[in-house]
Amino acid sequence: MEPSQVRSLALRYLEAYGCQIIETHPDYIESRLSIQVDKDLIHRPFYWMYVEKMGLEPQPATLLFTFEPGKAPPGVREDLLTSGAPRFQQMLLSARKNGRFVRLYEDNSRRVQRRDSLPYEPWLALHYQISFLCDRKKDDLVSLGIHLRTGEIVENFDQQLQHREWSHRLPDRRHTLPLLLSIPEAVGELEYWLQGWIEHQDLTWADHAMAQLNQELAQLHAFYPEEWRMSDSLHEEKKQRLRETVWQYHPRVEVETVGAGLFYLTSQKE
Amino acid sequence: MESIPIRMDRTWLNNFLKNMDQDAGWSTWEGYRLALEAADHQRIPDFDTLRCLEYVTGFDPLPHQIETAQRVLGEMKGRAILADEVGLGKTIEAGLILKEYMVRGLVKSALILVPSSLVIQWTRELNQKFQIPATPQKKEWMWEQYDILVASIDTAKRDPHRSKVLNRHYDLLIVDEAHKLKNRRTKNWQFINEMKKKYSLLLTATPIQNDLHELYNLVTLLKPGQLGQQTSFNTTYVAGKRKPKNEEQLRDEVRRVMIRNKRSDGHIAFTKRHVRTIPITLSPAERALYDGITQFVREQYQSAHSQLKSLLSLITLQREVCSSRDAAFLTLFKLLKRGTEGKDTLSPEITQLVELLRAVETQSKVEEALRLVQEINDKVIIFTEYRATQDLLIRALNERDIYAVPYRGGFARNKKDWMREIFQNRAQVMVATEAGGEGINLQFCHHIINYDLPWNPMRVEQRIGRVHRLGQSQDVTIFNFATENTIEEHIVWLLHEKIDMFRSVIGEVDTILEQMGLNEDVEKNLMRIMLESQDDTEIKEKLNILGDKFTIAEEEVRSEIERREVLMDGTQPS
Repeated sequence: MEPSQVRSLALRYLEAYGCQIIETHPDYIESRLSIQVDKDLIHRPFYWMYVEKMGLEPQPATLLFTFEPGKAPPGVREDLLTSGAPRFQQMLLSARKNGRFVRLYEDNSRRVQRRDSLPYEPWLALHYQISFLCDRKKDDLVSLGIHLRTGEIVENFDQQLQHREWSHRLPDRRHTLPLLLSIPEAVGELEYWLQGWIEHQDLTWADHAMAQLNQELAQLHAFYPEEWRMSDSLHEEKKQRLRETVWQYHPRVEVETVGAGLFYLTSQKE
Repeated sequence: MESIPIRMDRTWLNNFLKNMDQDAGWSTWEGYRLALEAADHQRIPDFDTLRCLEYVTGFDPLPHQIETAQRVLGEMKGRAILADEVGLGKTIEAGLILKEYMVRGLVKSALILVPSSLVIQWTRELNQKFQIPATPQKKEWMWEQYDILVASIDTAKRDPHRSKVLNRHYDLLIVDEAHKLKNRRTKNWQFINEMKKKYSLLLTATPIQNDLHELYNLVTLLKPGQLGQQTSFNTTYVAGKRKPKNEEQLRDEVRRVMIRNKRSDGHIAFTKRHVRTIPITLSPAERALYDGITQFVREQYQSAHSQLKSLLSLITLQREVCSSRDAAFLTLFKLLKRGTEGKDTLSPEITQLVELLRAVETQSKVEEALRLVQEINDKVIIFTEYRATQDLLIRALNERDIYAVPYRGGFARNKKDWMREIFQNRAQVMVATEAGGEGINLQFCHHIINYDLPWNPMRVEQRIGRVHRLGQSQDVTIFNFATENTIEEHIVWLLHEKIDMFRSVIGEVDTILEQMGLNEDVEKNLMRIMLESQDDTEIKEKLNILGDKFTIAEEEVRSEIERREVLMDGTQPS
C-alpha cells in the first residue's frame, strides 16, 4: 500500500470518528483524537477507568502521523503510519469493529418531488470474508445482497450501493413494506448460496493438502511400532503426533461476516 | 476433494437483530465503507506471497533470508531445521516466518526457547524488527497469560514451569541452539518431544557435531518418521560411527527438512578486508619505561621467589605499557602498594619504575591514533583492552574536537544502544573495550583500529565481526598498531603474518583452539612464552611453533567440517 493511500484512509478514519484535525501538512497530519479513537488506538484502559470513575475531564491524546519515516517537524514525536505499522493496523481493526452494521434509507427527495408516499425495496447486504485454510491461508471477499421480499440474490451487491445518497431516518413521503423474508431466513439463503460458490472455487489446494496430510499420517503410522508393542506413553505420543498433523494440514473454509447492512433502495421505476 | 468443511460465522447475527430491534447502534455509510476497505487491506490475497515484508522495520532482509522463509512456509510446511552458518541471520529468518504466520492468522500462540543469555536479545529483535509483541518469560503465571513468550529452555523444562508448558498448544515452537537436542535420552529432547505444537523451527549452526545419530535425533524430533525408524536408518545410512553410506539419498532426505546457507554460497556477498600494520616508534622516555619493566620482569622471573601467577601479571604490565602509560600506571600502583604493605623488597625497583613512568610526557601511540583518525576522516571504531587507555583516548580526541563515545561491557543495555546510536548519527569515533557477548552491529562503520590486541584469537575475530558482517556494504580496513621492539610486535606478527587472522574469516576459531587443547588458555600460554623465553629469538621460535600448530589444527578442523558438510548440502569433498 502506497503512503498516499495510507494517508487518505487514515484521514478519512480520523474524520469519520470525530477526531479534531489540527493540521494537514503534506508530510504529516496532526490530530487530537476523539475519546472513542483514543480508546481504540492507544492501549490505556487504566487511564480511562480512572477518568471515568473520578468524573474527570478526559484528555484524549494528540498524535502526529507521518507516512514516511523522519518527516515530523523537529522535536515532535512522530507516529509513523505505514501499511504494516501496528498503529495503522489498529486503525483498520477499529474501523472494522465500529463500521460493521448499517441501516440506511436511500434519499432522493432532493432530486424527485412528489406528493404520495412511495415504498422502498428492502435489501440485506452481507460482506463476507472467506478464508481458505490448510497449513497456509488465503482470503476472498464476497459481497452479496438479498431482496427481503422476493428472495432475489445479487452478487457484487456492493457496486449497486455506490453513488447514492443516504439517510439514517425514514425520509418524508416514504414507507417500508413488511419483510416477507426474516433476517435469519435471508442469512440462511445467502449462506446456502455461498456454500455453492465455495464448492465451485478452485479447490486443488485442498486436494494437495489432503494428500499431504495422508502422506504425513502414513509416515507416522510407519514410524511407530504396532499397537501391542507400544507402551502407554509411546501410545499417547503417537496420538499427539497424529492430532498435530491433522491440526497442521486439514483443509477447511472459514467464513467471517465483515459487514452487514439493511438498505432501503428506491425502486428503479422512480 | 468431495466436500470441504465450511464454518459459517453467525456470531454477528444477534447483535444485528438487536440493533434492528432497538433502532440503535448503527454505523454511518462512511463508517461502513471504511470497515469494508479495512477488510480489503487486511485480506491475504494468495497462499504464497510474503506479506511480512511490509511489516519489518528498520532493516532490509537479505535475499537468502527471504528465500529461506519462503521455502519453510512453502515446501516445508512450517517444520524445518534452520542450519545457516553463524552470522547469516537465523534469527531474522525465524522472525520472518513467525511474522508471516501471524499476519495470516495461522499463528496466535508461539513459544521461543533460547539459552537464558539470549532471552532479552531475542525479545528485542522480535519487538523492534518485526513488531511482534514478544515478552520475556519471568514469572510462572506468564506461561498462561502471554501468547508470544521468549523463555530459557532450562527454565521451561523444570517444574513447575514444565507442566504449564506441556498443557498448552503452541501454534509455533522455535528452539534456538537446537544442537542441544541431539541426544534422545536427554531431558531437553524428551521435553520438546512432549510439547504440543503445529509448526516448529529448530535453529542450529551445527546440526551434526560428532555422529549421524545427532542428525537423526534432530530430524525425528521435528518430523517423526522422516528418516524412518532408528534400526532402518542405521542399516540404510550408517556405515560407521562417523561414516555415512548412501549419502546421496540421505542428503535428499535431509534437504527436505533442513536449510543451510553458507558464507561460501556465492550469493551471500561479503565485502573485502584490508589490513595495515602501523608501526609505532617509542619516544626515548617511553623506551626507557618499557625496557625498565622488561628488565624488572626478567629479574623477578629469574629470582624465582615469586609465584607464577604474579609473574603473569607482570607480563600484563608489559602489555599495558605498550597500550598507554595510563594503563600501566594502575597496575604499577597496585604493585607499589602491595610492596609497601608486605614490606617486601620490591619497592625500590618499583619506585624506580614509577619514576620512569612519570618521565613519559607525550605518548607516541595516542599521537598516531589522532593522526590516523583525522586522515581517515570517516567513522572509526578503536578497540583497546584497557579502561584507562579508553579514557585517555576519549579525552585526547575530544581535545582535538573529534567527537568520540565510549563503549564497554559494563554499560547497561540502554546505554549501549544509546552510544551506538550516537556513534551512528553524530560521533566520528567509538572507543570500545568490549566486542563479544551479545555485542553490537556496526555495519555503518568501515574502519577498525586495533589500538592494542587481545591475545586470544577468538576475541580478535569478535572485534572484526562487529563491523565486517552481513549487511556491510563497503570494504573494511583494519589498522593494527604494533609498537616496535616490544612483545606487541610479536603478537601482531603471530596473529597477522603467521596465522592470518585479519584477512579472512577463519570461523570455528573456538573449535581450532579446542583441537589444540588450548581453548581458554591461549592467552596464558602466550604469556608463558613471553616470560620463559631468554630473548626475542626464542620468543619468535616458540610463536612460530605455536602458529604452525594452529595451522595444522585449522586444517584438521576444516577437513572435519567438510566431511560433515557433505551430508548437509550438495558440495563434494575435494
